[in-house]
Amino acid sequence: MHSYVRPNTHIALRLPSGQLKIVEIAPNTNINLGKYGTFSSNQILGRPYYLTFELLDKDDGKSSPELRVVPASELHAEALGSDYAPPAEATDESVPAEGATGFDIVGEDGEVIMRNNRLTVDDPSRQTLSMEEIEELKKAGAGSGKDIIARIMASHMGIEEKTQFSLAKYTLRKSRKYMKRFTVLPLDIGMLTEYVTEKEAYKIMELREETLGLICSWANVHCASSSRILTAEDGVSQIGGGRWLVVDDTGGLVTAAMAEKMGILYPPTEEEMEGSEEAEEAATEAAPQEATLTTNVPTETTETVESNGTQDVMVADTEAGAASTTQNPPAETSEPRPSTRKPRQHIPQMSAQANTLTVLHPNNQPNISHLKYFGFDTGNPVPTHPLYTHLKSVSWLQLLHPEEDPSYIEPETLTDDALANLKSSKRGNYYKKRRRWEKTKRVVDETRAGGFDGLVIATGMETKTILKEVIPLVRGGGKIVVYSPNAEPLVELCDYYSKDRRAAYIAREFGPQQNGTSKKMKTEPEDDEDDEGTNSTENGDDDDDFPVNPTLLLAPSVQTARARHWQVLPQRTHPFMTSRGGAEGYLFTATRVLPVEGKVEARGHGRGKKRKVGPDAAVPS
Amino acid sequence: MTPQPSPFFDPGAQSVAGSLGVLQLKRDHLIPAILSASSDSDYAEGHVENTRFGSYPHSTLLNQPWGTQVLASVVDTGSRSSKSKKRKRDEGDEGENGGDAPTAKAGQSKSEVVKAERSRSEVVKAATASSGFAHLVPPTPETWTLCLPHRTQVVYTPDYSYILQRLRVRPGDHIIEAGAGSGSFTHASVRAVFNGYPWESNADEETTAKKRESKREGHVYSYEYHAPRAEQLQKEIASHGLDSLVTVTNRDVYGDGFCLDSEDEPNADVIFLDLPAPWQALKHLTRSPPSPAVLNAVSDASADASDTPQPTSKPFRSPLNPKSTTRICTFSPCIEQVTKTVSALRSLGWLEIGMSEIQAKRLEVRRERVGLQEEGLRGANPTAATVQEAVQRLRDVEDRAKAFHGLQKVKQDQVMRRAEAKKRGEKTAAATSETNGKSGAAKAKLDALPPSKHDRLERAKRDLERRALFKEGRLVHRTEPEIKTHTSYLVFAILPREWSREDEDKARKKWG
Ligand SMILES: C[S@@+](CC[C@H](N)C(=O)[O-])C[C@H]1O[C@@H](n2cnc3c(N)ncnc32)[C@H](O)[C@@H]1O
Repeated sequence: MHSYVRPNTHIALRLPSGQLKIVEIAPNTNINLGKYGTFSSNQILGRPYYLTFELLDKDDGKSSPELRVVPASELHAEALGSDYAPPAEATDESVPAEGATGFDIVGEDGEVIMRNNRLTVDDPSRQTLSMEEIEELKKAGAGSGKDIIARIMASHMGIEEKTQFSLAKYTLRKSRKYMKRFTVLPLDIGMLTEYVTEKEAYKIMELREETLGLICSWANVHCASSSRILTAEDGVSQIGGGRWLVVDDTGGLVTAAMAEKMGILYPPTEEEMEGSEEAEEAATEAAPQEATLTTNVPTETTETVESNGTQDVMVADTEAGAASTTQNPPAETSEPRPSTRKPRQHIPQMSAQANTLTVLHPNNQPNISHLKYFGFDTGNPVPTHPLYTHLKSVSWLQLLHPEEDPSYIEPETLTDDALANLKSSKRGNYYKKRRRWEKTKRVVDETRAGGFDGLVIATGMETKTILKEVIPLVRGGGKIVVYSPNAEPLVELCDYYSKDRRAAYIAREFGPQQNGTSKKMKTEPEDDEDDEGTNSTENGDDDDDFPVNPTLLLAPSVQTARARHWQVLPQRTHPFMTSRGGAEGYLFTATRVLPVEGKVEARGHGRGKKRKVGPDAAVPS
Repeated sequence: MTPQPSPFFDPGAQSVAGSLGVLQLKRDHLIPAILSASSDSDYAEGHVENTRFGSYPHSTLLNQPWGTQVLASVVDTGSRSSKSKKRKRDEGDEGENGGDAPTAKAGQSKSEVVKAERSRSEVVKAATASSGFAHLVPPTPETWTLCLPHRTQVVYTPDYSYILQRLRVRPGDHIIEAGAGSGSFTHASVRAVFNGYPWESNADEETTAKKRESKREGHVYSYEYHAPRAEQLQKEIASHGLDSLVTVTNRDVYGDGFCLDSEDEPNADVIFLDLPAPWQALKHLTRSPPSPAVLNAVSDASADASDTPQPTSKPFRSPLNPKSTTRICTFSPCIEQVTKTVSALRSLGWLEIGMSEIQAKRLEVRRERVGLQEEGLRGANPTAATVQEAVQRLRDVEDRAKAFHGLQKVKQDQVMRRAEAKKRGEKTAAATSETNGKSGAAKAKLDALPPSKHDRLERAKRDLERRALFKEGRLVHRTEPEIKTHTSYLVFAILPREWSREDEDKARKKWG
């Protein structure tokens, strides 16, 4: 995790209003916070995250304002009121603070003893400073917002009537409006979730942080970069290896949250881990060079291709790049940070075998645009980003009917002679086509072979149609998680895996053979019904009754979790009075299992001995 | 020999001996077992997991693809008595060392298992029982949390998921955890920080030499002052193949803090405190020595008076990674604990302080069947489903009553007539035949009537056999019968990197 602001990354700025602003921070640019002011990106680059800065107006009114780091003690003092100001820390000296602990105004009125709220009059007219005057004050640049607040407070006639309690509240309320402050925050999953939720929650299916955490837990998402590459019993397909299937209608938020847990979301930050100042220095100095290097990659690669023939080499996914001409060139959007300065190895896209995410998508390209905040532009992926090799995508058409997808069909092969006669540009094209096909074929084939460790779904699609196709691709013991904003779709899903339905399904599958030999149906009423079903109806009806194979999942459950947030202030601790409504957000979870083939299940259930007799006898051993 | 990967991260295609497997009997009923092929056991079948849902010899669980549905076996549980007594005693001895952790099954050390495997005698092949099954699933922090031997309160999935998410715990992070308790959170957090084993990067020098320099392996530093608990956790961690990733330390963190012998440990990025008095541990979690004023503010008079650190000659060492933003979460059931913790956090300069609680619940999904067809059946509501059904039923009852009264009348008439006839001294035979005829007709009339209650119940039972209950009724959901309405309050905070004047000057020089 980055602990300080780096150039060409996305960061979040929290404004006094509580609003978040996302900025892709480039050196030597101005960052405009609207009414709060403007400052230069250089003033926060290289500084630690989570610091709060105050914009100090310059007397000349021309150059960009100074930034002052607001020390923790000051922030806390304001929140608490003077009575509870924590002692200034020893470490404060190191911070360019200006000595002030807490608000002047609160300080001055600190002596005011607790008074009754009853006498306070909440009347806007009692504030003698008019809005215009406040604006004037601001324009005049009379110092920071703190001064303005002090003046407003001073001019507030009823100020002495206020109790300490409401004064603290009042201070806070005013500061929201007039304080020229911002806090620099790293743009990570939590921050992005908060940001999107405030603006367009529907775009992430109203997912909350707690739900994301729960999804990743139940799907057992973890870093599997050291997992073994194992072959399943069939001797061909891979089993395990830390590979997850994803159906993601949240613009990639779910994918990103999983990638974060797998250690493949952020571009590598070796220097930071290395820790030495010099390394950091070197890295930042190298940045501009790096950028040019990236732009060079395509040409470089093409040359390699031509000289090495069919070597498995990828250009930074040129076809995808062409599809998104509106995207910025890589040098600008990405944060290239290769660990070595040497020309990089050419690794095919989507080629990782372990620790991977495979996104199943309904359109030609997956919509995972939120990944751009983490330096990964799907239209123009940077080969140094871990997602370049670890994130794969397969369309539903490719998964179910690969032969109908043109990119799956092998392009013609040319003999070496024919190749030699081609113009170099044509030859380049030829290889490009073959490589694209090889990639598609590899990814589609390996996906169809299954053996995935888990499946995570967050979609508006009919989930049963997805599970029907995809559950068989999950390995035994693999985890299934389906998110839905509403309970109903998951309740329905649970019902498709209900005990009764499973019993009926098994009876249908394996029942008929027994019917001739015994009279078990007495205790297995479903048998009869299903005989009728199998005899009289088409597949269609069966599909209605059994849209999925109910024997493939163990312990299907629906759950929900919600975080309730509190205000914690001395003598004023309570849950926040209001919060977001909307979707509650539910999870369906289950484990993929391998049912005993061809046998009717038997159980020594605690539901009474009587019931046991029938089904038990039906177990062929 | 290179160590085996942990079954928590890479279980392989199938279960193997000496490794943890989980037998899942019901949603919340799971049994952990270090699978063993040895015959060193009370049973002829070797090691056996006995459950309410049947017996499962390890021989039937070994080398099975994960997720396999395993049928129960017939195991003679009676004849083991002599052997088991001895066994019991052995276990008892062990248990003394293990203190308050009687269920040590999953915690058996590897060497124990290996030793057991060496014994020669053959394991008897188990016969499949006529009933009972379970599923063999690989362990995950979620399954482990459901079946771990409880020694303390534990942190459950909804809480730890949110905590780890909100703390932004990532592969490669170092996390401090205190107290370790039963190790539920330990397992969840090691999954979150895991990014490879230390022995891996040591193995192939050539290729990873470069990488190793830069790659920092995720690690959990776990502290527990209750010695038997610490010991027990250490055993479990080892038998789960996690010992190279988790360092369990038996220590009182209030007094002695978190620093370990090695300079670069714990070097923590993240902290989780599940302790009765987290504020007493906070003074050890600073980047620089806290001032006396701050220490004063942080220590609470009564409990802390004695262990306010004396000015020692020991040079200050921070347990925190100076290069990262430190994130912390404390987990306390009571609001008073929260108040104290938060106030200490403020004094020590932590930022972004917030408190939340997680409210989680599971839903029960079922089909609710209502209607007269359910009469006498279990698990359904046998009242009329509609007004029409109700009216029909009332009519039926009336009709039957009418017919019944009619019949009664006929009978009465008969009796009367017979009595009269007797009085008159007439022959009874004719009367009888006459009555028969009449009552027969009445009976026929009754048959055409709506069925009696008895008949209805019979019919409902018969009908049941041809009904598809799995799709009848209304699909409903509701909160599970028992919910945890409160687990604990979660206090979160952040400590940014230290930022000095020099740092600022440097940054200014670099960025202008
Ligand atoms: C509630 S339990 C922790 C449970 C654990 N988080 C889990 O999920 O299994 C609290 C533990 O903290 C330990 N503890 C209490 N005070 C301690 C201290 N000062 N230093 C170390 N451990 C302490 C207790 O012995 C107890 O085992």
